[in-house]
Amino acid sequence: MDSLLRLMNGGAGNLAAYLAAHVLLCLLPAFFIAGAMAALIPKASITRWLGRNARYRVSYPAAAAAGSLLAVCSCTIVPLFAGIYKKGAGLGPAITFLFFAPAGNILALAYTGSILGAEFAFARFVLCLLFGIGIGMLMAVLFWRDDASHDAQTDALFAERASIGPAAMGVLLSLVAVLIAGTLKLWPLTATVGTVTLPLPWAEAWQATLSGWVPFDAAKGEEGVSLQGSLLILLLLLIGLTAWQGLEDIVEGANRWTWVALGLTAGTLLVAALKLTPGPDGLEVALTGRALAVGLTLWAVLHHARRLDADAWRAWLWEAWRFVKQIFLLLVTGVFVVGVVRQLIQPEWIQNLAGRNDLLANAVAVVFGVFMYFPTLVEVPVARMFLDLGMHHGPLLAYLMADPELSLQSILMVAAVIGRPKTFAYVGLVAVFSIAAGMLYGAWFDGVNPAWIALGLAAFIGSLVALLGWLLGRRQAPAHA
Amino acid sequence: MKTVKILGSGCANCRKLEAVAREAATSAGLEAEFVKVTDMKAIMAYDLLATPGLVIDDKLVSSGRIPTQAEVRQWLAS
Repeated sequence: MDSLLRLMNGGAGNLAAYLAAHVLLCLLPAFFIAGAMAALIPKASITRWLGRNARYRVSYPAAAAAGSLLAVCSCTIVPLFAGIYKKGAGLGPAITFLFFAPAGNILALAYTGSILGAEFAFARFVLCLLFGIGIGMLMAVLFWRDDASHDAQTDALFAERASIGPAAMGVLLSLVAVLIAGTLKLWPLTATVGTVTLPLPWAEAWQATLSGWVPFDAAKGEEGVSLQGSLLILLLLLIGLTAWQGLEDIVEGANRWTWVALGLTAGTLLVAALKLTPGPDGLEVALTGRALAVGLTLWAVLHHARRLDADAWRAWLWEAWRFVKQIFLLLVTGVFVVGVVRQLIQPEWIQNLAGRNDLLANAVAVVFGVFMYFPTLVEVPVARMFLDLGMHHGPLLAYLMADPELSLQSILMVAAVIGRPKTFAYVGLVAVFSIAAGMLYGAWFDGVNPAWIALGLAAFIGSLVALLGWLLGRRQAPAHA
Repeated sequence: MKTVKILGSGCANCRKLEAVAREAATSAGLEAEFVKVTDMKAIMAYDLLATPGLVIDDKLVSSGRIPTQAEVRQWLAS
């Protein structure tokens, strides 16, 4: 009974710490950005570069852009993947799109950055982009016969053209500015402009109560809940309740609750940007540069959003709300379970298996990633747990590359569209590339001379090019015969 | 009688689209048969790049978004 209680406490503590500390300033704007991308960027503005006659220099970057900008959920990933493969630019760009989408979209980037660090998010983004294009090209060369047979079909699906309107662009850019203002740890955002002490004598006692509820051990990488955190959790619950009333039927128009929910969201972002410190005299509220920047950028969002037409902003809010419903519950459950599991894992296990950056450790991380299926974004708190338990950065990146790309579910889905042999080739390539990415990043993290890493990357790319050349040679040989 | 097909794997948007389409049909006083298409191959038979898709009498009228009830009523009437 006692140990069960300890496990539950671990889960609840982990969840409270996540909600209070990390989620708000990164995930709230990220959900709105993802919604804006889904609703305000016309798909044709990118898909027109993915037609059958697009040159590969255009189609591969366009496929990556589609993965990053259009595909935040499976409703878009599967049809777009099948469409590019069967009716558009072919297998290579389709694979690039599929590989890059889970790592390159705004929710994954923002969340990885806030929980594992900006450096890690950057490495994940760049390596997934490079290797996504690499895997796509390899697949296209391996299965060139198949693409040739598709050439006869038309590509009317990709002929449509569209561009993003100025208001939509303004909304997108100012939302990204909110995200940056809320998360970047740089002066002048971190500077304190002025402080006010509110006469709230219960503040210090409440903080002591919170620390009693969620005891934490900083040495194990755990975090407690601050007074500010408890206020933010309360605001989050209020947003949830009002959004359910205000956003569920937003397609048909806004109601009173819509404005309450949006006002609460903006308020929450502002409160999260302040610095609240309980002391003996009361609650000290510090106005930070961050709060000013968040306020300014929120005003910019409002300014641009007012110029959107009714259909556009309704669709935007609906998509944002849909992402919240789809992802947030899973994420909350996932973070809770991670907190429970963490109490059960001995750090020594992880350190022995993947505490170093070698081939075995990276391979173990990739195999774990393939056989474990975590819902969207839950791979990130899982990775955080491994990091705290002593996993090396290299294998951790290998795991983060393999996990969202390869799960039993996604493998089955890909197999249904492109058939088994191609799927096996894809899975094998992703495994090899993920291991290589982990080794490279791990070496960089260990402080290995960048020249050696560049040499390693060059050797990896060189062997790939040699392999491609050999395959191309085989492809052309029958033509001469 | 019109046949209305909802294309989509069962995500939140597809359920919302079905609700909107049903309400539109009821409010217009039209009888329509609703078919849910979840099989990917059957969905890809139509020219669309994102679900949910709405098909009325075998013609794709919208894809990748949720139309308003008024729009669906117009399509049903035409």
